[in-house]
Amino acid sequence: MTYEQIKLFLPSASSRVNDEIRCRVEAPLFAGIVERLMKEGGLPLSSLYATDDRATDKSFGIHVILSLDEERLWMTLSTSVSGNDPTYPSLTRSVMAAHWYERYAQDMFGIVPEGHPDPRRLVHHENIPVGTHPLRKDFRWDTKLDHAQVPYPLHHVEGEGIYEIPVGPIHAGIIEPGHFRFNVAGERIITLEGKLFFTHKGVEKLLEGKTPLEALPFIERLSGDMAASHALAFCQAIEKISETVVPPRAKAIRTALCELERITMHLHDLANITGMGTGYTLMAANGFRIKERLVRLSQTLLGNRFWRGAIVPGGVSRDWTSGECALIKTTATEAVKEMQDLVKMALQSDGLRERLETTGILTREAAVAYGAVGLPARASGVARDVRLSHPYAAYAQLPWEIVTAEEGDVYARYRCRVEELEISLRVLLAAVDLHAGEPVVTRVSLKDGWGVAAVESWRGEILTAVHLKNGKIERCFPRDPSFCNWPLFGEIGPGNIVPDFPLCNKSLNLSYSGTDM
Amino acid sequence: MTTIVALILQLVLVLLLSPLTIGLVRWFKARLQGRLGAPPWIVYTALLTTLKKQHVISENVSWVFRFVPFAVLGMAAFLVLSLPLLFSNGGLPQIDLFILAGVLSLGSVFLVFGGLDAGTAFGGMGASREMTIAALVEPVALITFSAFAVVAGSSSIQDVFGNGMSVFSHPALVLSFAALVLVALAENARYPVDNPATHLELTMVHEAMLLEYSGPYLAMLEYASSIKLTVFLVLLGNLIWVKPSAALAPEAIGLAAAGILSTLIVGSFALALLESSIAKMRFFRLQEYMSVAFFLSLSGFILVFLL
Repeated sequence: MTYEQIKLFLPSASSRVNDEIRCRVEAPLFAGIVERLMKEGGLPLSSLYATDDRATDKSFGIHVILSLDEERLWMTLSTSVSGNDPTYPSLTRSVMAAHWYERYAQDMFGIVPEGHPDPRRLVHHENIPVGTHPLRKDFRWDTKLDHAQVPYPLHHVEGEGIYEIPVGPIHAGIIEPGHFRFNVAGERIITLEGKLFFTHKGVEKLLEGKTPLEALPFIERLSGDMAASHALAFCQAIEKISETVVPPRAKAIRTALCELERITMHLHDLANITGMGTGYTLMAANGFRIKERLVRLSQTLLGNRFWRGAIVPGGVSRDWTSGECALIKTTATEAVKEMQDLVKMALQSDGLRERLETTGILTREAAVAYGAVGLPARASGVARDVRLSHPYAAYAQLPWEIVTAEEGDVYARYRCRVEELEISLRVLLAAVDLHAGEPVVTRVSLKDGWGVAAVESWRGEILTAVHLKNGKIERCFPRDPSFCNWPLFGEIGPGNIVPDFPLCNKSLNLSYSGTDM
Repeated sequence: MTTIVALILQLVLVLLLSPLTIGLVRWFKARLQGRLGAPPWIVYTALLTTLKKQHVISENVSWVFRFVPFAVLGMAAFLVLSLPLLFSNGGLPQIDLFILAGVLSLGSVFLVFGGLDAGTAFGGMGASREMTIAALVEPVALITFSAFAVVAGSSSIQDVFGNGMSVFSHPALVLSFAALVLVALAENARYPVDNPATHLELTMVHEAMLLEYSGPYLAMLEYASSIKLTVFLVLLGNLIWVKPSAALAPEAIGLAAAGILSTLIVGSFALALLESSIAKMRFFRLQEYMSVAFFLSLSGFILVFLL
């Protein structure tokens, strides 16, 4: 669907800034229009966030970002609700993908989506007093909260032989906290629900009032394994607002960094899914060793193990020497080749294939309804990738191609990773030398305004919305792909047996930290 | 008198070697996967450390919970004392094979009680899985033992495992032996039935039942499973190439002890190789694994009469 056709759905005039179409809608009409754009226009919902505009116009703003993949545009619909009694008709009544966003805004801003089918708390656990809304401007970031006892009910099924398994928040492995509640008949999972947000860091609140440079370290630490991608999405948003043109060499290095991050984590996942998930331990022992080569490459190039600190607003911090370029190319090529040999051997094991196939199926219908992003969505036949629909950095000039599968099971997600690994290496090798010798950074003269920018991280689409005012961040919502994909467990889990859940979990490899902003 | 000395010697030897078996399996596994691996004898230190640690016991448990480690370790000791491992006629006289099968299940049942007693979700889950597996293993074990008993002409443990009978005594026993290997893997919670090295609570069988145990009780239970694995390996070895000593003479004992040690090394290598080259089976595919074991044992049993 094109912008011209979309215009017919919009009740009021829309404006176009860069690759964003903006339109303001009255709150009562809001849900209806979003529903029409999604159902009739086929635009996927990419983000929903609120802003506290009470200082300027005594209202809260709600912004929905839809993607117009065909024309490579973003469509932002905004509405405002009363500052004293913030309510509006819920989108979730007809748009499933909005369910967590609305619960999130309800906890953080106290904006009530009326008619939300599941209006429980999301971020706030039992201990947070009623009426705590941390992202309102009048809430101080260092407020000490009283200890409360507000119920946080989880789904509960009753019946003969049905029992509940509570798992976490403390796990046996070295992972972050998250609680999972299984309702099980024998070994078969009936319902599965996650309770996350145990270690909310308050990054969104901390970003407010900071300059983009001060904010960058916080953005890079949203989720340790996607530091480069988050930094890139944030910097792109800043550059878009400031109308900065980034030099081509910087774009090439940025692409290379994101692909290095993708290779690192795909190596990890390929090792982790088979090695830890199914007990084919050979893959874990060798896969993690191979991943370590990339991690050490980051240490050599950047002085840290997380691909952090290279991407800055306006470009990258420094160019690579020809020696460093050669090191990157040999290390990545060797690591990928070694992993490919290992995977080839592993997939010849029938027992392993048997564990991966038909496990944790995510149907295409569910992926679309939940607004799933990234590799899990592509493995279920949703051919969406930011690199295709909203090209950024140097992807348009590089030999990149989209990887999809139809089955939507763990094996499909595994195969997609194997294929992406190869393509990623190809892109990396081409990007490292692209525009070599040219300048890598340009001055950013900050302007006020707002904008969104997306990056396809290895985990999926990051969509960062930034509002700048007087050179400082007024509001920033870096939407991590995990936020969209966590609720998928409710779909993927049921029907599987309990011992297969860790495998489903590893095949998505979602970030607790990225959700717990 | 000689019987008692023999019994004590056998008990001491097996009890001393048991942790080494586990250590060897882990070390071979590490080596086969390209890791350096901890030295095999680290298991002794680990067990002693666990033994010295404090108990943390749920307030909701009954006396059963505290009784289980003793019962399970007792069953393991019974195995060591009754089976002809080091001495062919050194074991307790004339114990029926079916008592052995019964003792094995009794050990499982007590573990299950221990898993259930604290009332946690994981313990119950592990217990339910253990009983599912036990129900499938039991008939296979009985039929396999029966085939051996028919060939030996007696159902006494000494006659079957002690008096020089091997898997080559009768062609049909090759099938029964294969079934026995599958039973041994399931009984000892090894691949492809269970993964003893996993940290994933949701996939555990044996370990899930031990989750509530700590300190000395945990050490006892872990020691018991190492004894069980050792006994099974030695038994399987005795059926192929190693012969237990018939007399209480130093050379004969030395030879038999060396036999046990070589069995343990070969056995743990074979186990490590298996666990490094396959993935754990999906839990709901285990009935296929056990069906294979069942038909192997049944064919062995029938062929014993036909051939």
